[in-house]
Amino acid sequence: MSRVRLFDLARPSRQHLMGYILLAPAVLLVGLIIVYPLIISIDLSLQAVKLPRIGAPRAPFTTANYERLFASSEFWMACWVTLKLVVVVTAGSLITGVSTALLVNNRFRGRTLARLAMALPWAVPEVIAVVIFAWIFDSSFGLMSWLLVKLGLSNGMVAWVSTPGAAFWAVAITMIWKGFPFVSIMTLAGLQSIPTDFYNAAKVDGANVFQRFRWITLPLLMPVLGVTLVLVILWVFRDFSIIKVLTEGGPLKSTQTLSIMTYDQAFGFFNFGYASAVGVVTLVICVVASLLMLGRQTRAMY
Amino acid sequence: MTTTFGRFVRTATAAALLSATMLSPALADTTLKFVSWQVDDAGTGDWWKAAIAAFEEANPGVKVEFTKVERAAYADTMTTLFAGGQPPHIVHLASFEFQSFAENGWMENLGPWLDKDGIDMTGWAGQGKCMWNGETACIMMNYFGFIMAYNKALLEQEGLSVPTTYAEFLEVARKTTKDFNGDGITDQYGTGHETKGGAGQYLTEMLSYILDAGAYWTDADGNVTIDTPQMVEGLTRWKTIVKEGLTPIDLSAGDIRKLFADGKIALRLDGPWLYGIMQNGAAAADTVVAEPAFTPPVGGSSNVLGMASEIPDGEKALVWDFIKLVMSPEWQRKYATIGKNTPPSPVADVSGVEQDVPHFPLLIKTMMAASDAGVDRIPTGLEIQYNEFGKMVQEEVQRMLIQDLDPAEVVKVMQERAEAIKNGG
Repeated sequence: MSRVRLFDLARPSRQHLMGYILLAPAVLLVGLIIVYPLIISIDLSLQAVKLPRIGAPRAPFTTANYERLFASSEFWMACWVTLKLVVVVTAGSLITGVSTALLVNNRFRGRTLARLAMALPWAVPEVIAVVIFAWIFDSSFGLMSWLLVKLGLSNGMVAWVSTPGAAFWAVAITMIWKGFPFVSIMTLAGLQSIPTDFYNAAKVDGANVFQRFRWITLPLLMPVLGVTLVLVILWVFRDFSIIKVLTEGGPLKSTQTLSIMTYDQAFGFFNFGYASAVGVVTLVICVVASLLMLGRQTRAMY
Repeated sequence: MTTTFGRFVRTATAAALLSATMLSPALADTTLKFVSWQVDDAGTGDWWKAAIAAFEEANPGVKVEFTKVERAAYADTMTTLFAGGQPPHIVHLASFEFQSFAENGWMENLGPWLDKDGIDMTGWAGQGKCMWNGETACIMMNYFGFIMAYNKALLEQEGLSVPTTYAEFLEVARKTTKDFNGDGITDQYGTGHETKGGAGQYLTEMLSYILDAGAYWTDADGNVTIDTPQMVEGLTRWKTIVKEGLTPIDLSAGDIRKLFADGKIALRLDGPWLYGIMQNGAAAADTVVAEPAFTPPVGGSSNVLGMASEIPDGEKALVWDFIKLVMSPEWQRKYATIGKNTPPSPVADVSGVEQDVPHFPLLIKTMMAASDAGVDRIPTGLEIQYNEFGKMVQEEVQRMLIQDLDPAEVVKVMQERAEAIKNGG
């Protein structure tokens, strides 16, 4: 009888145990699929290991991978490309996403269809989207070059994938196309939570459409936009398939981000220790960026 | 007592039945995992499937699980399988990637297995490439020579004959590259090379021009030999082909082969596998294979077969039986008749194969020409760093094309970087 009472989770003093028990499966799962590989990765980054093996004896501790990484011009180039891509894609996605959300938030005929069209790129699997864009940006037979030639904007086909500047923009445009619907959907949800009374009061006070956007919409959207911004930045940081399929990081490393560099070092050159070091540094950058963004951007202005 | 005895008999009978019906099949049935990128390849894939069927028939209860992994994801998948302790039993790898697996001790030394069965590998094409750290890490499955395919209708329209030298090749490529409506978009190309994708393939595409100019990446002792006048000439030729727009750019090898097969490209240098694609193309009636216009032809080792070192001994014996089967003269002949490819075995009887594969003597001729010239796509001394080396060469060549650099300057940079890679820098 006393044993039964010992596990009586309904007792007020033991109610917290019930919470822990319910949380345990999720915590264990997270530990298994996130924390364990992370520990393995950090451990590998501190060993001079080419091809790792689960259960193999650990190689001696070394910081050589990090020393080589920070002395490598390739790493700093990858950081610069990643930063450029983060800025361009985030800004592009944000502007396009907020604009389309504002558009489909209005009442007009065909609004449902417009909302569907807006969300469509998000629903298309990334690899399929990239294959479509690979054909659009094909240097010999692609639609984009054909359009430029027919419109008289180019004398010949543009070598999208084998010119550093064009390759960067081909990647950025594809990423913006794939990323803006997420911003739109989040913004639309935020817009619908803004009470119409605010706009009515502003109209009575004589505020025009731009003033209403500047002083009502934007400040009240900031919590949503802040979180969205962080998620978009993290997506650009870790995205791999778009660049891999379109340009493989080239030409001349002009589209080689940190995630592509990690992949190449691990599976191209079989330098798993060094690749893990790139991965760990990328993680640190992502965590710092997230903390900074969440701290500043998620607060509403009012 | 009787009751106890009867219970014992019943229990024992039930246990025996259980063993017979459940345990025995579990012990008898063995599945060998075999991962390959060639599963759906016309010819070679058919040959693998036929060999597997013959092996399964000869070994009742043994199944070979033949799974396709795309070539683009192959190294990643194999690395993950080995690193996770779940390697395939039968290991199929490209001849430029097995070295890292062998270096890590993941490939069984096949030397003792060959000795046990008294198999003499003398004269087996490309087998020397399978020796790693003094051990036989694999069996070479394909050693080939490039052929040159051309579209006779496109050549005849321009009154051109089949090129036999680089100069003639260039002339044909120039005259058959056409922008029919003058809109600035090329509609038909003189030749076709893959310039997008893996560095290894990029190097192979360039190699015809480099070898014909008398250059190569390393010498027989593994010394880097890039900074030479011959290499300058080779790079100049490649630059001419790409900069003059005689080849479509940024397309994969599959796209290029399809364009050739459909009559959009006049000349294509490729391996024996091109023939199967040509046969299914829209221009099948016009496409013909011939001896390459380059001497020596590109050639060399393609893919290897091996055994994972960590599988149980019983399964190793089965894997070895499978490897022995595909190495047998009978199946090496079928590699020609079914696979439409050149078998590496020196004792395979390939007489009469030309009745099924009309261009087979040409395949043998180019393979022998490449072999006699000691050509291989993987440079001696840079085997284990091949991917890194390939990436470096691809990058420097792209820099030459984009920035219009002098090949004489490019070879100096490539020489320096190749030496650094070789020395672990």
